Amino acid sequence: MAKKHIKPVVIKLKGLKKRYGIGNAEHYALDGVNLVIEKGEFIAIMGPSGCGKTTLLNVLGLLDRPTDGDYLLDGKAVEELSSAHHARIRSEQIGFVFQNFNLIPRISVIENVALPLTYRGMRKMKRLKEASRVLKNFHLQEREYYYPSQLSGGQSQRVAIARALVNNPSIILADEPTGNLDSRSSHIVMEELSDLHRRGNTIVMVTHNPKLTTYASRVIHMLDGKIASDTKIPVTAESTTEKIPLGKIPKEKKS
Amino acid sequence: MRLLLSDHLSNAYESLHSNRLRTFLTCLGITIGVASVTTVLALGAGVTGIIGKQISALDGNIAIIRPQATGSGDLTGQQILTPSTLTESDYKAIAATPGLKHSAPIMLIGGSASTGTIKPRDTAVIATTPSLASIARLDVRDGQFLDEVTNQQTAVIGEQLSVELFGTEQSVGQTFTVKKQRFTVIGVLKRFNDPINFSGVDFDRAAIIHLEMGKKMAGTGAPLQQINLQARSAKDLAAVIRTIDTQLARSHQGDKDYTIISGRDIAQPTTHLFKAIQGVSVAIASISLLVGGIGIMNIMLVSVAERTREIGLRKAVGASNAHIIWQFLIESLIMSLVGGVAGYVLGYIIAFTISTFLTFDPVFTWYIAGVAAVLSLIVGMVFGIYPAIKAARKDPIESLRQYR
Repeated sequence: MAKKHIKPVVIKLKGLKKRYGIGNAEHYALDGVNLVIEKGEFIAIMGPSGCGKTTLLNVLGLLDRPTDGDYLLDGKAVEELSSAHHARIRSEQIGFVFQNFNLIPRISVIENVALPLTYRGMRKMKRLKEASRVLKNFHLQEREYYYPSQLSGGQSQRVAIARALVNNPSIILADEPTGNLDSRSSHIVMEELSDLHRRGNTIVMVTHNPKLTTYASRVIHMLDGKIASDTKIPVTAESTTEKIPLGKIPKEKKS
Repeated sequence: MRLLLSDHLSNAYESLHSNRLRTFLTCLGITIGVASVTTVLALGAGVTGIIGKQISALDGNIAIIRPQATGSGDLTGQQILTPSTLTESDYKAIAATPGLKHSAPIMLIGGSASTGTIKPRDTAVIATTPSLASIARLDVRDGQFLDEVTNQQTAVIGEQLSVELFGTEQSVGQTFTVKKQRFTVIGVLKRFNDPINFSGVDFDRAAIIHLEMGKKMAGTGAPLQQINLQARSAKDLAAVIRTIDTQLARSHQGDKDYTIISGRDIAQPTTHLFKAIQGVSVAIASISLLVGGIGIMNIMLVSVAERTREIGLRKAVGASNAHIIWQFLIESLIMSLVGGVAGYVLGYIIAFTISTFLTFDPVFTWYIAGVAAVLSLIVGMVFGIYPAIKAARKDPIESLRQYR
């Protein structure tokens, strides 16, 4: 921890391959991906359907195992580890945000947010306190004891982001986080992610929407399981904006 | 890795609570299964308990000799005749054993008491010696018991048999026949009210005649079904049994075709018939438990299918396979345990209801509570583990993709 470089590397991929099918049906969803992700980057992965974006994200999130290649997370090779070990890494170092939010409908918002902490063995009181603290940052405090069905799409996704963030992950993986949202809610959610980025979080986001790349610090285009282009976007003036309470953004920035 | 027991418990509670009717019906399956097992065991223990009570009332100086590998049929007054390896010579040989206070053979005579027109069913005619009265604690309400000087043509009958034969309990002086042999009633026994006892005879429905007479009717060398022994004191009993054992072993040419039972062992219903009936009942009751278990598995599989997305998500946020297995296993264990406790209670309610029609009461023992608890745990475990493993094996990516 002491050897703090200018920008520590969070993820390093080398020749990563993922094959589906055997023989004639063989198909590489990932065909030799080399990628280095540094701390604090906000990466948008673009590309047509079937180019391997989601597969890449799943491999990064240890939900899927690569067929070949090296994957170093925080400097440690992870592909050889047991599935129980993977589960622990997911609980401690990775936060997921999904297109369809994936909140558990049976339990309240605060319990949904506290869920990842459960698997770190944290006591219930402490968990809820921690979840409450994170929700406060997202201005969802008054929604703590709502159920997911009582929330709007934008609110649901903000809860999901809060959940991804609650265990202080090294990296946040977002798979089309705005895919199910209208443009107004999309905007709020992207502002939220962008704010996280400004605070130093590392985010990898898969998206179809070219507009959203404006929030990213680096845009990667994929094609046929390979990285087609990799562009770093210079820091814009916008990134200096102060954080504005989320609930009020749509009214002020509308149209 | 921590077990997260309290988390799984509250989780299971929430999930079960949100599907109350479904949970109730699933538990009901287990309840019925455990209830039937509990009922059978409680009533079975009740039977055993009666004999146990008699034994402890008898100061622990009673032993019985039974021919091995035969059932002497003592279930609810039904008499079953079986070949026997005990004979009168055995009885004679041991009668003089030092320390032995009384001994009485029990010889079942085929045939039943009748008055010509009335012939009650399921009665027993036994031939024995006068000392049976003191060993088996038979009291006479009218007349007298058999003794050394009474005529061989006399008999003592049980109160119930007296009512069935003559329509009254006061039948001293009346006559009845067994196998065309005429007997005069010289005594009527006080109501014994224990159709199941260590003598293996329902005395309320039995006619007791002299051993000599019995031999005449059954032929010399006729087998004895049992020999009752009473030692002078509980202390002497062990020595008496040892002496008799050597004695019998010698006269049977070392062939150990008899058993000497004493103490609490007498309380165990030794008949194969009884054990078979209880075994079959428990087996049938277990089938309903099996059906209940299948119900649990069924509902757990539905639950796993319904919550596929949740499983995927939990895995994505860091749940290991073990976490998922425990989450679902605890859910099925809760259902089976709740069903088991309810079944235990229901089982005793049923047992007490049934016992109002029987001559014995169900018994509370830790053994039965333990069986109920272990059975329901096993059912929850066995039928819950497959759905739980199925849940844990789900691929998180596939699970998260699934829409409902």
